[in-house]
This record gives sequence, C-alpha cells and structure tokens, in this order.
Amino acid sequence: MGSPNVDCRTSSVGYSDPGPARVRFEEWLELFDRIPDGLIERYHYYENREAWSKYLFPPQTFAIYGMRHLRRLKFDNSLAALRMWGFVQNETERLFRAKQTGRRVIAAMGDLGAVPVIVNSFPGCVAFYPDCIWWTPFMMESRVLFDAAAELGIGDAACFSRAALGAFTKHSYFPDPDLVIASTGASCDDYSGVEQLAESLTTDVLWVEEPMRCDRRPVGPMIRLLVREYERVVERMEKLTGHSITEDELRVGVCRANRVRRLVARLRELAFRHAALAALEMMVVEFGNLHYYSDISEWTAVLEHLLATAEERAARGERVVAEDALRVVWVTPPADPLLLTYVEDAGARVVGTEYVINQALELVDESKPRLEAVAESFMAASLIGTSRARAQSAIDQARVYGAEGVIISGIFGGSHCAMEGRLIADYVRAELDLPVLEFDVTSPSREVARQVGTRIGAFMEVLRSRR
Amino acid sequence: VRELLTPRERFGLLVIDEPQDRVPVFPLITAHAARAAGIPLRDYYTDGAAMARGQLVAQETYGADFISFFSEVGLVAEALGSQFDYPEDDLPMLRKPKWMELAQLDDCVADPTTDGRLRVYLEAITYAYEARGDTVPILAYVPAPFTTAQQLVDQEAFLLGLLTESERVKDLLAYATRSVVGFCRAIIGAGGLPILVDPLASGSVISAEHYREFALPSEAEVIRYLHRYDLDIVLHICGDTGATIALMPETGADLLSIDRIEMPDAVAGAGQTCRIIGNYDTSAILLSDPQTVEGEVAEMVAAGRKCPKGFVAATGCEVPLDTPPGNILAFVRAAREAGLNSDYGWRRA
Repeated sequence: MGSPNVDCRTSSVGYSDPGPARVRFEEWLELFDRIPDGLIERYHYYENREAWSKYLFPPQTFAIYGMRHLRRLKFDNSLAALRMWGFVQNETERLFRAKQTGRRVIAAMGDLGAVPVIVNSFPGCVAFYPDCIWWTPFMMESRVLFDAAAELGIGDAACFSRAALGAFTKHSYFPDPDLVIASTGASCDDYSGVEQLAESLTTDVLWVEEPMRCDRRPVGPMIRLLVREYERVVERMEKLTGHSITEDELRVGVCRANRVRRLVARLRELAFRHAALAALEMMVVEFGNLHYYSDISEWTAVLEHLLATAEERAARGERVVAEDALRVVWVTPPADPLLLTYVEDAGARVVGTEYVINQALELVDESKPRLEAVAESFMAASLIGTSRARAQSAIDQARVYGAEGVIISGIFGGSHCAMEGRLIADYVRAELDLPVLEFDVTSPSREVARQVGTRIGAFMEVLRSRR
Repeated sequence: VRELLTPRERFGLLVIDEPQDRVPVFPLITAHAARAAGIPLRDYYTDGAAMARGQLVAQETYGADFISFFSEVGLVAEALGSQFDYPEDDLPMLRKPKWMELAQLDDCVADPTTDGRLRVYLEAITYAYEARGDTVPILAYVPAPFTTAQQLVDQEAFLLGLLTESERVKDLLAYATRSVVGFCRAIIGAGGLPILVDPLASGSVISAEHYREFALPSEAEVIRYLHRYDLDIVLHICGDTGATIALMPETGADLLSIDRIEMPDAVAGAGQTCRIIGNYDTSAILLSDPQTVEGEVAEMVAAGRKCPKGFVAATGCEVPLDTPPGNILAFVRAAREAGLNSDYGWRRA
C-alpha cells in the first residue's frame, strides 16, 4: 500500500508533531494550545462545514461531558491520534446529527462487522453498533447504563454489552434507529438476550440468523444461509429507503469497507512489528472496522492520517514504547481501556490481538457476487466457531510477531468468557509453551483493580525472567 | 421517583438540539449551598473541599440538574491584586481595588494554581467531578473581563472612563481577558464547564451602546477561546438585559442566562440562536411561599419552552443565601412538572 497523501508531521498545516510518545491527559492540554485555529476548522464529519461537524478537540472536551476515564489514560501525542480520538468521542452527537440532516440511522447488532457493509451501500444510510456502548460505563466510570439494563432484567451476571440495553431505554446515547438489524444464533448468548429485550424499545427489528461454523462440515451451506439472510437485509433496506440497490452500489460499498480493512491491516503490522502506535489507539482503530464510527469517508481519512504518521515513524525507527518492551498478544478486548495503558506502563507492548472481531478484519472478495463475498468473509467470525479457533488466531499472531506471553481479559459475568478463557489459555500453553495471564474485568472503576495490577506486575516479571 | 435521564444526559441532548425528557432545572444555587450543607460561609469560599461538599449536598437535596461553583465576581481581580475582606458569615467584599484610576497596567497574568482563591475553585471542581461528574454537569462561573475590570479599578473611575478614556478601558479589558482565559483553561483541565458571568455589563449598569463597544467584544473573545474546545458556553448577565438581549448572541454564547426581562422578549430577541436560561425572580424565591413559587414557575416554564433552541428553567440570578429550602424544592418540583416532555422516548421502558 502506498503512503497516503495526507498531512502528517509537516509544518504545512502550521503544526508539527513532537517526537512520538504516550502522553498523559494533562499533557494533551499543553499540546492543544499549540494547535492553530485553522486546523480545528479543517476537520469536519459528514462533509459538512457547519460548526457542529468539527471534531478536532482534546480529551478535556469529552472529559467535561462525562468521559472521566480519559483523565487516567495515556494517549499517542500525534495530531493524527488527536484527530482519531476527537472523531471517535464525538460519535453520539454525530449519530443525532445524522438524523437531523435527513440520514437514516440503522442499528446493527451482534454480528460485529458484516451488516454495515451492506447498509452503508445504501445512499444516505448510516449503520452503527449499540454493542460498542459496552465501553461507555468504563469511559464514564459510571453504573448508570448497567443500572438501567438491570431494571429491564439483565444484571451483573451478564456481559458488559448489556450497557446497550440501558442506552436503548435512555434514547440519549443514539437516536431512535429507523431499523434494527439484530444478528443472533451462533453468537454471544448474553447479547442475544440484550437484543431480545431491546426489541420492545424499538419500532422495527429484522432478525438475522448467524450460522455456527463447524470445522467438520463444509462452509457452503453456511454461506448460502447467510446469503439468504443478507438478501432479507437488502429487501428490508430497500423497503425502508424506497431505493433499489444496484450491484454497482454494493460493489462500491464493499470496496470502501475493504479500503478501511486494508488500512487497518497495515496499521496492525506497523504497530505490532514496529511499535509505531500504542495498544490503546490500535484497539480504537481495529473497532473502527465494525461501523467506521458512523462516517466511513471521514474515518477513512482519519486512518490515512494515522497511517502516514505510523509509516513515517517506522521509516525513522521511532517508537511509542520501548524497543525492548515485552511482547504480548491480547485476547478479548479489555472493557476497561485503562488496562492497555497499564500494561504498557508496566513494560509490555501488544503485538497481536483477538478482539472477537476477526470477521471485521477479513477482506471481502471483490471478485465474487457481493452478498456471497460478505458472507464468506463473515465465516472468519470469532464468535461463531470454537474456542480452539480463537486460540489458533492468537497462536498464529504470537508466532509471527514473536510474542513472549498472552493476556486474556475476560468479562465478569460474560457467559462465553466463563470457560473460554481457560480453554484458550490451555491451547496456547500446549502449543507454544508461553506464559498466559487470564483475569476478568469486573466493573467500571477509576483504577485497575489492585489484584489485577499485582498479577500483571508478576506476569511481567515472569516474562522478563524467561528472556 | 427516579427519572429516565441523568442531568448530564439531559444537558447533552439540549446542546445538540435534541428534545429532552423534561426541561433541565437550574435554580442558580451558589453560596446558598453552604447553608444547605451547614458549612460556615467563609469556609465555603476559602476551602475547595468545603465548597464541593456544599454543592454536592445542595444538588442532592434539591435535585438541580447542575452543580455550579461561584462565590463572588471579584475572583479574578483578587488574583490580579485587588484586596478583599472575608467576613465570617458573608461573601468576600472588595476592600481596595488594584488601582483607583485607569492607570498604567502591569504585565501580570493570574496563575490559577497560586493566585488568590482561584485554586479553591479548581479544588472544588476536581472534588465534585470525581464524586458526581458522570451524572451531573459541573459548571464554574467565571467573572467576565468587563466585570473583572470593575473590580480591578475603582468602579466610578472605570464607568467614567467609558465616556472619557475608552482606549485605556479597552487596554484594561484586554489585561483582564488574559487572566480570565487562563482561569478558564485551568477549569477545563479540572473537568468543569466555564460559565461566563458579567453582571456589571447589565442594562442596570451600562447602556446598550457601551455594552456593544466594551463588554461584548471581551465576552466574545473569551467565548471564542472556549469554542476552540467545542464547549457549550453559558453567558450569564443578571439585571436588566432588555436593551441588549438582541446583541448578546453576537458574543457567540450558546446559552444565555437572563434575569430581568420578559421571557417572550428574551425568546424573541435571542431564542433563534441561543438556548435561554431563566429567569425566575430571586426576590420571589426568597420571600414567597411554595404555592406561589409553584404557580409562577409553571407560567415561566410555559413561556420559556417556546424558545426554539431550547430552554432551561432557572432563577434569574443567584438563589439568595437565606432562601427557605421549601421554596427551592417548590421551584424544582414545578419546573420538572411543567417542563415534562410526554413525547420523549416514544415507547418508555
């Protein structure tokens, strides 16, 4: 992939990045003082020029509006990373602005990556995942959404994704969707429960079946099932929009999604191999593959900006973490992003991830009929197969990037996490003889739980002792 | 009864032009919080933890949708060198302004971490933010440059200067603006949302012409700075704003907190571009009985809700120190009821 033609560390934008580093919340306030007004005016979402569509703002802005956890994290100090954070943190407003400006807002649920490829192919439609609200209680250090979910019957004995149900009750975290496309079947059973309860809070739900990927059976019937399901998605979208989608529109939609996926693949390589970006930013980057933070064009531009920064760092041999940092693969996304900051502060860096979104990282075959190609890419999904397959993904990455250990962060109450962590740990140990640290994230908090912190510290000592 | 939205969620909807479950309610409880929490007044404005505790208790007691830190308008001027007395049971009083006339300015800029009582505010904001920042917006009143200038220079000399030494006045405003902006920046770092308060720019003190020439540009400069952070900025001018209401949106403020003006006039003058916050009579909340307060607040809310950009049910100025708690509770109760949006969340859980 060629180097994107975007502004990076040049002074042509009136701002030059300092040397790469992870900086504290307070330090970004200092850096933001140096950013010229012209740069703030430069970046808008939805190709809009009104003041509300600007997004280049520092973490302080979002902290003032309740994202308290930002005060504890460490951030990449590049302009590209600031732009990324501003864009991502702005998403709630963006979704409401989508409705205000006449776009149709579609909630995709459960499948984590496939349905938005189809939805975004329809003109004027924006897909998003309420699922991603699972981070909000941690970012706000708040139980508000969990409490709201509990009132509807899903309490602490379920995955943090129950926060999405709380958000549905509130009508304030995203606009009421024009359509909900809820995937269920071979997926997270806790989240299927969330989807069922959310149905009573929405007007229009299309249920989509996800097949189980069984390694002993041919994938053909599974793909055919998915294609039929996606045809129903297209049919419902056409009914909603009054627009008959063309094969060319779907082709463009697939190409745009692939563009994002290729950018992210390259960013992963630069982060894992060259430490050009830190784990926190990379988690945000990877999850952008799900629904592009509700504006695929602008998100693509943000990724290009990040990539230019990362390529330049790699070319100069610059890193955001120490060269001799301990290399770990991370399995299951940490609901508490502070863990990534914590582990890097403890002397490690992440060189591989299995964040249950493998399907969103896979390229869609552009030579095949579109729906079939989307279905085929979905067959790589993390949660429709066995724990063995997830473990294999972690093992493969550990081999490629020379990982020295594996961290598995489970979800307290998440039903599929209860056994899966142990299984994955056993597979990794058996195949690679690597130390594995497995722990659960329990609840939103200002700091990493003391016991978890102690275990991370001890794990780092083990990894160091094996060098 | 537990409400559907938290105050923060409600405010978040207001500022992106979305309907809320009900009108946000904001009796401007400042130093009255000390009374509500049983904290000696002097402790309240000299000790950040005490100020925060007072506000947290008051917010919980009355159920307001905001926590708001304020003691008096001399805060920035004191940090720049004006001298204040701290009575045991009253708010700080200006003993001696930094200058008695429009004199040669120094190059001093207030340091929020060391000068005057600015750090008291920062400590209070930090405390409250940690305690309740996930559910309640934390606001901090910042005296605007025009008001600050009148605490830096003898007020009579300043007002005379508007007529005879306009350039010197403007230099003084620029001088005050630098410290006001610096204080705002520190508040942002602590997690608070600055509110610009400019009571000495009201029509009760100066003419509309003077407001346009002197106060408005300095308010606008501070607000421009705050908009760099994409913050939604409240401009509070108490007293009579009948002659300036149509000018106030030119400051760039996102919300206007108003006092002595008829609500329909405020809505007509600024409601197309700004949300209106106001404006129940503070004498009435001090002296009336709960039944009267409830009836009058309901009328106010009915008028305020016609504001196209949105409305916050508030008092016109600070709730007086010794306001009966029953009247504040009546205000909140009535504003919530009259401000209910029965269409919100078309299918309630």
